[in-house]
Amino acid sequence: MFKKLIQESMGKSPWLFHINAGSCNGCDIELVSVLTPRYDAERLGFKLAGSPRHADIVVVTGPVTKQSLPRVLRAISQVPEPRCIVTMGSCPQSGNVFRGSYSVAGPLSKYVHVDVDVAGCAPKPEAVIDGLALATQILKEKRGQMK
Amino acid sequence: MDLPFVKEALHQLFSKSSCAMYPVVPSEAAPNYRGRIVYHPDRCLGCGMCERVCSGNAITRTVEHLPDDQGDKITLTFNLGSCTFCATCADFCSSHSIEFTGDYHMVATKEEDLLVSGSFIKAPRKKPAAPAAPAKAEACAAAEPAAEAPKPREDGKPVNDPAKCVYCTLCARKCPAGALTVDRAAKTWTLDEDKCVACGTCAEACPKNCIIM
Amino acid sequence: MTIVITALQYLGYVLIFPGFLFCFLAGMLLCGIDRKLVAKMQKRVGPPILQPFYDFFKLCGKETIIPASASKTTFLMAPLVGLAALVVIQLFIPVFSFSAFSGMADVIVILYLLLIPAMSIILGGAASGSPYAGVGLSREMVTIISCELPLVLVLLAVAKTVGSAMGTGLCFSLSDIAAYQAMNGSLITKLSMIPAAVAMLLIIPGETGNHPFDAAEAETEICEGLLAEYSGAPLGVFKLSHAIKMLTLTSLFVALFLGGLGTGIVALDGIILFLLCVVLTAVSISFVHAITARLKIEQIFKFYWTLVTGLALISLVLAWYGL
Repeated sequence: MFKKLIQESMGKSPWLFHINAGSCNGCDIELVSVLTPRYDAERLGFKLAGSPRHADIVVVTGPVTKQSLPRVLRAISQVPEPRCIVTMGSCPQSGNVFRGSYSVAGPLSKYVHVDVDVAGCAPKPEAVIDGLALATQILKEKRGQMK
Repeated sequence: MDLPFVKEALHQLFSKSSCAMYPVVPSEAAPNYRGRIVYHPDRCLGCGMCERVCSGNAITRTVEHLPDDQGDKITLTFNLGSCTFCATCADFCSSHSIEFTGDYHMVATKEEDLLVSGSFIKAPRKKPAAPAAPAKAEACAAAEPAAEAPKPREDGKPVNDPAKCVYCTLCARKCPAGALTVDRAAKTWTLDEDKCVACGTCAEACPKNCIIM
Repeated sequence: MTIVITALQYLGYVLIFPGFLFCFLAGMLLCGIDRKLVAKMQKRVGPPILQPFYDFFKLCGKETIIPASASKTTFLMAPLVGLAALVVIQLFIPVFSFSAFSGMADVIVILYLLLIPAMSIILGGAASGSPYAGVGLSREMVTIISCELPLVLVLLAVAKTVGSAMGTGLCFSLSDIAAYQAMNGSLITKLSMIPAAVAMLLIIPGETGNHPFDAAEAETEICEGLLAEYSGAPLGVFKLSHAIKMLTLTSLFVALFLGGLGTGIVALDGIILFLLCVVLTAVSISFVHAITARLKIEQIFKFYWTLVTGLALISLVLAWYGL
C-alpha cells in the first residue's frame, strides 16, 4: 500500500530542474512562461527546483555545446533515481541551425538516454505541458519498476 | 518599505484566476501559427529547393531509381526535431506542397515519431522525347530572329521569349535543378529538358517576364 | 497499573494528539493551504491542498544520495533531530486549557527548543560539505539572530503583563498564561499587547524561513542553500519540519495572544486551534509572501532589529507601566 501511495504521489509532484546547454534563451523563456499565472504548472504539482538533487525531471534546452557538455552530464548524474530527461526545442535533439558547428557536441541522445522530446522552436507552453505530462507518466512507470 | 501589491493581492484572493486550464480545456494555436509540417507529395515536383533553403538541415530528399523504367521514387523527409519552423521551405515551394499547420503537439518518446515523410513516383521521360530534346533547344535558339511570342508548352516547362529577354542569367542562377544555361555574350538561352522539373522558379525570378510556363 | 495507564497516556500524547500525528497532518495541511492562498493572491489556480503530502511521499520514494565529502551520520541524523525538537515544542504548547506536559516547561524552554530545528538544518548543511550550504548556513544564522531579539522582547512583554496581573513580577509559565487568558480574556484585547502581536506576526515568517525572509534557502541564487545536497527521504523530513514549524509558531501565537477561546473539549479545541492557525498563516505567511520580493540578508537583519524590535519594545514599555 505504501509503495502504491509513493507511486501515485510520484505522478502528482514532479519537480523540474532546468539546464541551459547553450540555448538561445527562447526555450528558457517558454519554460518559465509555463510557471506563470497564465499556464501555472504548479496546479499540476510542477515546481522549479533549485538543485539537481531535488529534481525528478531534467529539462535540457540548447544544442549542448562542448563547454557545457561535461557540466550537463554531471548535473544529470546528480539527479536521484527515478529520473526523467526531457529535451526541449529542436536544439538538444539535433543541433538545429547550430548543427555541424565546431563548438557543438550534441545531440544529447549521444550521451544519455532521452525520455521525451518536445519539438518546436521554441515549443508553445501547451506543448511543454504535454511533454512534461508524458514525462510524469514515464516517471511513474520507472518508480513502479524500482524495488 | 514599499508595498505596491497589497490591494492587488487582496483583490485577487476573491476573484477568478487568469489561468488557461490547458489539459482540461483544449487550446487552439493562433492564426498563422507554424506548427507540424504537412507534406503533399501529390503536388511536389521534386525540385529540391526546400532542401537547399533549409537552415536547420531538417529536409532530406532521397531518389530511388525503380527498375524497368518505372521512373524515380522521390522521398522527402522533414525532421521536426531539427526544424526551426521558419517556413522558408514553404515560401520557396512553387507548387505549395509544404504546409505549416496549427498543430503544436509535437511530443515524442522516440526520434522517429518526429519525422514527417512522403514520397511520389516521378514518371520516366518518354523514349522518343530524349533525342528530340537537343533539337528543340536548337529550335528555340533558332527562333530568335523570328520575333514572335512563343506559345506555352503542354508539359509545363518554360519557354523563353527572345524578344524580351536581356540574358541577365538570373533564371539560370535561380533554377534549383540546374537545367538552364544562359550565355550573355552569345545571347543563348538553353534548357536541359532532362533536368527541368517545371517548377516555375525561373519564371518567377525573371525581371522581364519573358519566360512563359 | 496506573503507571501503565499513565505511560500509555503519555505515549498517546507524544504519538497522536499534540504530538507527531497531529503535527504531521495539521502542518502539511497548513503548508498546502498556504501554497493555495499564495497562488490565489498571485492570480493562479495553485496546487491541490494535499500537495505537500504528495511531495513528502514522493520524496520518500526517491533515491538518497550522500555526497562523498559529507559526514554521513550527521548528514542523515540532522533532519530527524530537527523534527523531534519540533514535536517536543508542540507537546509543550498548551491547546487552550489542555496541555500535555504543562507544569514542566515554560516560554524559556520553547525559546531554546525553537533554536534546535534551525541548528539541525545548519548542522546538516555544514555536514554536506557544499559551498552553497556554506553560504546558506551563514545566512540562516543571521536570520536566527535577527528574529531572536524581537521574539525574546515579545515573550518578555507577555510575561510582564501576565506576571503583574498575577503579582509574581514576570510569569514565564505557558499554563499560567493560558489560565490567565481563560479568566481575563485574550491578551490581544489589551492595548499594550497589540504591537507585540504585530511583531510576533512578522517574526513567524522569519522563523520559518518563508518567502521574503528566505535568503538562506534562495533557490534561484544559491541552489536552495542549506538543502542543496539533500535528496530523497531526508529532504522530505526537512520539508515536513518546515511545515510543522509553521504550525508550531502559529499555535505559539495562539497560546500567547488568543488564549481563552477554548471550549474545554479537547477534540474541539484542537480543531479551533487549527482553524486559528490557518487564519494566522494566511495573514502572516501567505499574504506577506504574495506581496513582497525576497529581501537581502542585511535587509532582513535591519528590518528585524529596527521595525520589529521597535514594536516589541513599545509593547514591553507599555506593559511595564501596566497599560
